[in-house]
Amino acid sequence: MPVDCAFEIAIERVSILDEHGVFDESLAQGLIPDDDVVKLYRHMSMCRHFDEIAFKLQRSGRMGTYPENRGQEATSLGAAYALEDKDWMVTCYRENAGLFWRGVDPEKILLHWMGDERGNNISVRATPLAIPIGTQMLHAVGLGWASKYRGEDGIACTFFGDGATSEGDFHEAMNFAANLDLPVVFVCQNNSWAISTPTAINCSAPTLAQRGLAYGMHCVQVDGNDLFAMVKVIRDAATRARTESRPTFIEAITYRLGDHTTADDARRYRDQDVVDEWSARDPMIRLRKWLEQRDLWDEGREQALRTENEIYVKGVVERAGGIEPPTTDDMFAWMYSEIPPVLDLQRRTLRTSSLGQGIDGSGS
Amino acid sequence: MVMKQPDDRSHFLLPDLGEGVTEAELISWKVSPGDMVKEHQTLAEMETDKALVEVPSPWSGTIKELNGNVGDIILVGSALVTYDIGDAAPESVAAEVIDVAAREDAGTVVGSVSEALSVPPGFHRKPETPTASPTDDRSLATPSVRRIARDLNVDIDVVSGTGRGGRVTASDIQSHVEGPAAITPISSPAQEEIAIATRVAQPIEGISERIPFRGVRRKIAEALQHSLRTAAHFSVNEEADITDLEKRRKGLETLLGRRISPLPFVLAAVCKALRTHPRMNCTVDDFVEEIQIRSIVNLGCAVDTDHGLMVPVVKNADALGLVQLADRVSELAKECRDRTIDREDLSGGTFTVSSVGNCGGMFTTPIINYPEVGILGVGRAREQVLTKDGAFYAGFVLPMSLSCDHRVVDGAEAARFLTTIKGLLEAPEHILPTV
Repeated sequence: MPVDCAFEIAIERVSILDEHGVFDESLAQGLIPDDDVVKLYRHMSMCRHFDEIAFKLQRSGRMGTYPENRGQEATSLGAAYALEDKDWMVTCYRENAGLFWRGVDPEKILLHWMGDERGNNISVRATPLAIPIGTQMLHAVGLGWASKYRGEDGIACTFFGDGATSEGDFHEAMNFAANLDLPVVFVCQNNSWAISTPTAINCSAPTLAQRGLAYGMHCVQVDGNDLFAMVKVIRDAATRARTESRPTFIEAITYRLGDHTTADDARRYRDQDVVDEWSARDPMIRLRKWLEQRDLWDEGREQALRTENEIYVKGVVERAGGIEPPTTDDMFAWMYSEIPPVLDLQRRTLRTSSLGQGIDGSGS
Repeated sequence: MVMKQPDDRSHFLLPDLGEGVTEAELISWKVSPGDMVKEHQTLAEMETDKALVEVPSPWSGTIKELNGNVGDIILVGSALVTYDIGDAAPESVAAEVIDVAAREDAGTVVGSVSEALSVPPGFHRKPETPTASPTDDRSLATPSVRRIARDLNVDIDVVSGTGRGGRVTASDIQSHVEGPAAITPISSPAQEEIAIATRVAQPIEGISERIPFRGVRRKIAEALQHSLRTAAHFSVNEEADITDLEKRRKGLETLLGRRISPLPFVLAAVCKALRTHPRMNCTVDDFVEEIQIRSIVNLGCAVDTDHGLMVPVVKNADALGLVQLADRVSELAKECRDRTIDREDLSGGTFTVSSVGNCGGMFTTPIINYPEVGILGVGRAREQVLTKDGAFYAGFVLPMSLSCDHRVVDGAEAARFLTTIKGLLEAPEHILPTV
């Protein structure tokens, strides 16, 4: 037997509305009703304004670190739109648009970055923001597994960056999800930068998508700045998860237009020319053009929306900034459903000089 | 971290602009006193250790005072901007005097800060604990100051810092470039204060000129002291009969139609000799206690300039031919004198040659360019009566002095190395260009 081909596959790249306004009618057939496109655009615009204000809150000392979401809104928003309420959204920290669409109060995200744990008290099926890189992918696998174990048809959709695909956690999560046939959708937001490390240094393969091949997973690349394409690939992946209990790995190509966080200065390590190129691929620009071509949007509505956004976000900032100080009980209230004795002792002795000690001096 | 601001909105205290940032340099003001500003409007552009950032106003109001000048380092928690809050303004604010520790600190930051900076009660800055002076030869400076230095082609590591913890400030760069006379009046009182504070001996009469022990001179002094403190110096002297080499050099000059000094021949000989004595071509890392034999030959070549001795490095010198060596050395020397030399070209040497030939002198006791382990001092070639096979003849001799770090190199090894160089110079076939 001569040398033969053991395995061969092509990685598909999905694009429906590109940066030049080219729109694939057939792929978009029945994807998003026009009214919803307007709603999604309005939502994106609010998120963009929220992002700008959140950035300034950090700079004026009213908030801790903040990672700008600018330019990546379509990725998580497309996913959130395609998911159902019973599904889990397991994010890192650049998915505000998707989280807000699902019903997370923007005020909670501000509280989170102000260091207030109440910001993580979320009532919809979304996990708190995961700051350590890659930890949340394993949580998503656990949630998907739990759903399958219980015989429910909810799925888990997790988000992470290009840098996270070089973490061991990523590979463990992928391996478990594939080998246990779990209903999990992995969405890699490839925004070109793992802080200051370009994707090319982070991955030697031509696509990140093919990392999923090693696990026998369905892999697809998508224009992450294309809301339509995002909705399509997530919907396909969600169906695969729900009906076949098979995971999907999606590489969404997008670009981080801002700094990594407020503690970073991207001008130090990247060329403005490239940033300018990507600014032209901003998901909002093409979506607005698309709406305007169909008389669904105009400058008047844009102006009105801006005012609306300013008022809305101002209210969000006031609510977050005006919240009463947290009580120390909060430190103990949320970690365990039943508080362990050692923590209970700490809670009871918190206001005495003998923290964590009983009257006789015992305790930890 | 979130910065608690005064409830009456009379002051905006500089927040942590990144993560764990304790200070930031003021790059430019974007507002003036009397301006009405809106919430989120940019007040100033500031630079932290990591980023150049715009600092927005946390509320709307009228600017009363801007506390700081461009180039000042502002500490997180100090009042950046004072707002006009009318009659409600606390009387004590303007009259508030900063405590001694804070004042001293402000003085080292940049003179005017202490005068302009007034903070309300309860917002005192903590006295600054002095930062340990850096142990390596890299200057401390913020990125913006480094950029200024780069733009002005100033090697920041040779600028002495007057800022906090010995930091080089923008005005240090300025005075370095323009000379001591150009120090701006605003910062001189502060500098005088420091000088008085650190003076240990009063000068006696009969001084015609006072030269601040600063800049390149001080950097040289520090490097030499460090070398002498660390390396165990010893020297070996030898003379090479370069009569034949001189003839060939003259011949080469005629052939090429240009001047070639004896130095490149010495450099070429050193390169060759280093290859057969790898122990001479090494550096010492005293921190990890390691002798690092180097696979490349980067030849330092001491250059006398108006602003002091500089040692540019010919990278991969052994890969260069004689004429290329000559060209590279004169190119580097010119860049040193013009101060256009790239910082990269001032470091990374594995062995140094110091030629004092054109100034006279025979033997020297050169000080090693630490962390290298050897340096060759080359004196002036002179015509002399020599003997060979019992007969006198007139020839040229080149005095050479080799200093080594005895911790790494023993006397016999040094002598053998020097003999190899001597041999190569006396029988120069191996170092001459193949024409």
